[in-house]
Amino acid sequence: MSQLATFIAEKRQQKPILSMTHVVYGYPSVEESLSWMKRLMQEGVDFIEVQFPFSDPVADGPSIVAACHKALEQKLDVETCLSQLGTLAKDFPESRIVLMSYLNPMYRFGLDKLAKRAAEENILGLILPDLPIEQAATYQAACKTSGIDPVWLVTPVTPPDRLAMLAGQANGFLYCVARSGVTGHSVHEGKAKQTSLDDYLAHIKQHASAPMGVGFGLRERAQIEQLIGKADIAILGSALLDAYNQGGQEAGVKLIKDLFH
Amino acid sequence: MQSENGFYGQYGGSYIPEILYSSQQQILQAFEEAKNDPKFLAELNKQWQQFSGRPTPLTFCANLTEHFGGAQIYLKREDLNHSGAHKMNNVIGQGLLVKRMGKKRVIAETGAGQHGIATALVAARLGLECTIYMGAKDIERQYPNVFWMKQLGATVVPVTTGAQTLRDALDEALRDWSSSHEESHYLIGTSCGCAPFPEMVAFFQSVIGNEVREQSVTQFGQFPDRLYACVGGGSNACGLFLPFLDDKDVEMVGVEAGGKGLELGEHSIRLSHNLGQPGIAQGFATMFLQDDAGQLQETHSIAAGLDYVGVSPIIAHLADTGRIKMTYAMDDEVIAACTLLLKKEGIIPALESSHALAGAFKDAPNLPKDSKIVINLSGRGDKDIFNVAKAVQDETFPQFLTDYLAAYPTHHADNEEQNA
Repeated sequence: MSQLATFIAEKRQQKPILSMTHVVYGYPSVEESLSWMKRLMQEGVDFIEVQFPFSDPVADGPSIVAACHKALEQKLDVETCLSQLGTLAKDFPESRIVLMSYLNPMYRFGLDKLAKRAAEENILGLILPDLPIEQAATYQAACKTSGIDPVWLVTPVTPPDRLAMLAGQANGFLYCVARSGVTGHSVHEGKAKQTSLDDYLAHIKQHASAPMGVGFGLRERAQIEQLIGKADIAILGSALLDAYNQGGQEAGVKLIKDLFH
Repeated sequence: MQSENGFYGQYGGSYIPEILYSSQQQILQAFEEAKNDPKFLAELNKQWQQFSGRPTPLTFCANLTEHFGGAQIYLKREDLNHSGAHKMNNVIGQGLLVKRMGKKRVIAETGAGQHGIATALVAARLGLECTIYMGAKDIERQYPNVFWMKQLGATVVPVTTGAQTLRDALDEALRDWSSSHEESHYLIGTSCGCAPFPEMVAFFQSVIGNEVREQSVTQFGQFPDRLYACVGGGSNACGLFLPFLDDKDVEMVGVEAGGKGLELGEHSIRLSHNLGQPGIAQGFATMFLQDDAGQLQETHSIAAGLDYVGVSPIIAHLADTGRIKMTYAMDDEVIAACTLLLKKEGIIPALESSHALAGAFKDAPNLPKDSKIVINLSGRGDKDIFNVAKAVQDETFPQFLTDYLAAYPTHHADNEEQNA
């Protein structure tokens, strides 16, 4: 069984919903981002999702885009990032780290090498939102060889047969995008009608044997409560970054406590 | 040119966020049906003819031919399209496709503003809501185009992230599309992006080469020996070249922007001299200007329409296989070529198209006197008035601007008076 899925199943014995908190590597500096990750793990978050910045993050909204661009004012290195995350993973065995980035910097690093190195550093999941599953055969094979999980995304507009296919391929967890659009608050607001989140998650559950994580647009406790019993992980990205930008680590920690305790 | 599942050799494909899957499938299907539907094609031809003024002429340049003393030089006059550039061919095609899909809104990115204006024109004509993303820096540099887009009823959104130019505008258009995919169509301006955009834009632009096939035979009894086109995103080059792909005797030369020099950040040369590297971004795989960590980099050209960080996967593939020979022209060579065309032939070329001129002018003297070359004059140069005035150091222009500004009514009351 998937190491990630096993970890989630065990943790879920104690908690109704797990927390995954997002941090942009290198923002505002490498040092400060590592300190923030450490703090989050000290506070007992179940996962950190670390985003390795890319110059053109098309699935992200303004908060994360700005953080990525700020981070890229310094030269960032994938190998260094992986070994630093590996140290954190060792220091905090009660939490897990997943790595998120876009395809190009990872493609330059080498997807085979990425899977191997991530596994060596105990990074158990990889999220690449611009790599569609159709183009991912070798990446999937590399992850399998290394015993880590590629994390696939499904959305409210994913056609039923495709949703079944993606859910069937998911092992560690399935990333359920809660709404159309990009991450966080944005000027782009979907006008389309949406099925209720409950129906959407129930529909996914029919097809998914893997645990389910829900992200995009989560900022309030009521939203987290709504997920209990319907999903396994609540993923907190832009809202946490916004809090961090306004009041540093303390404000970020306060938000997590408000949402998860 | 037909792709293999969206790929041209190692380039192309679809690398888009999952949220866009359904919309992309819808476009794939709509385009596949439309391009085989005689009614759609008849309507397309009618709009090309009646709205954009096609066919555009193939113009023989006697003075330039004599000046260089080599090849006989012809220009394909895409500058005579409505809106002043080849961009219109694609926008009319995609506009009709939007109507066919029943969508009500179009989103577009624009660099210099040419594609933005073409999109705004067609959106106005077809009754579509229109949002144009444009880098804040490009808006500063190309305000006259922004002015017309707004007058045409489009919403122009300044993009303030990153370098605030075309690449950022494209990212932002993709983000809008991720939110609004159900009612909006992303009307991309060049043969880039995820499948089927490269193939679709090339299909609509191929009217250029298809006309040249007929015109060349009618006017000089053979196909051209050589074709020249500038390569930014690559759509005008695809349009001229692709209809001649199987005619092995027809040589093709693509001219990229050499800008100010060959240092990273000073040019937009992606396809020669090992300056670009394979990458995957903005929805597709192609040659990108990037650093060794895979971060996309800044570009430069005197022609805003050429300073794109990637390039059409179709052109990248044909350059790889050697079917298209790639070269580049520097900013100063481009101004010289532009000036020469003005003086010798009485035609005002866009600075983008002047790259194709510069590339061809270098070769022309060394080509046989009976050889025929066709240069794609992809757009007219009226839009470049500020840049060209600066480049040729026109002495009167600053005074004109100062006087104009002094007389410009800046207060509301002044406006009222003028309108009264």
